[in-house]
Order: sequence, then C-alpha cells, then structure tokens
Amino acid sequence: MGIHARPAAEIAKMAAHYKSEVILSVNNKTANAKSLILMIALGAKNGTELVLSVNGEDEDEAFEAIGRFIVNNFNEV
Amino acid sequence: MVGIVIVSHSRKAAEGIFELAVQMAGENHNIVACGGMEDGGIGTDAIQIKNAVLKVYSNDGVVILADLGSAILSSQAAIELLDDENMKVIIADAPVLEGAVSAAVQAYIGGDIKAVVEAAELAGHTSKLC
Repeated sequence: MGIHARPAAEIAKMAAHYKSEVILSVNNKTANAKSLILMIALGAKNGTELVLSVNGEDEDEAFEAIGRFIVNNFNEV
Repeated sequence: MVGIVIVSHSRKAAEGIFELAVQMAGENHNIVACGGMEDGGIGTDAIQIKNAVLKVYSNDGVVILADLGSAILSSQAAIELLDDENMKVIIADAPVLEGAVSAAVQAYIGGDIKAVVEAAELAGHTSKLC
C-alpha cells in the first residue's frame, strides 16, 4: 500500500520520540517524518525505494526502530 | 495534551471525523466531536461548542477544526462566550477532516498549541495528488 495514512501516523508517533531529525525521501521528495501530512504527500507507493535519514544525538536508536518498522512493511499483513 | 474540538453542521460528520482522528492518534487522546443542533438537526451551536471546548480544555489550550461558514461563526461566538478571555483557544484555518487527523497526531505526540495549529493548517496547503 505504500505510506498511507495509518503507517504515516505510526511513523510520526515513533519519530516524535527521538530528538534527532528524521527525514524520509522518495524519488526527489523529502518529508519530515514527524509530520503525518508531509509523509502522506510523498505519495510513496508499495515497492517504491524509501530513504530514511536520521541525524542527531539518538540517531542510532531512531534509525533502528523506524527502519525496522518500515522494513517490516509497517507491521501490516 | 492540546485539546481538539471537531465542529461540523452534521453530528454524523463530526463523529465520523472524530472516529478517524482517534484511529490515527490512538486511544489516549483529548478530542471531542461537536456536530449538529441539540435536536439532531443540521447546524452549529455556539453553546454546544463552548461546552465541548471546556470538556477538553487544559493549560495546553484547545484547537477547533470547523467545517463551513457558520461553523466558523459559531466557533468564534463560542470563544467569546468563554468566561476567561485568557483561555488559549484557536480556530485552525484548515480542512476539517484532514486538519483534524493531522492535528490529532501532532497533539498526541506532544506538540504545543502552535505546532498543532500548524499541523492542521499544513493539511490545507499540501497537495493530495502529490
């Protein structure tokens, strides 16, 4: 399904736990992963390459948690 | 947590948007739906909106998402009806459904009233068709 509303909400909630800046990129568009609306506006469809960039003091933990959620297909079945 | 009041002319619309916003934000929310007139008819009622604001009010403030025309006028009247003029209540200039969902997530993750209003208004400035 790509980044539709529910996973975007989950990513925003996860990203907000961390102090680091969390950015998702699709093609040439980027979005602050702490914003539900901006992530939905990426229009990322299933199978699209997503780039997760995390920068800040807790970047490793943030990358690990959010990256795992994305790789696990947003925990959807 | 910043409170959110969803105002619509239709009770069903307000409750449906509430349902969607809660689904996104999670169970631990501070959102209330306020739609229709007391008799169930279509309309908006400043007194009901005022009571809805009081229901979710804290020192963090309240953001109102309203649908069309008189929903805004009634919301403005509701704010004037509040006894304390220092209460932080802001009407977001945003589409009611998208704005409510965006605001709900922002409030849930601990945004202040300014961040919640911005999240709601961003929904109106962002293309849906990407």
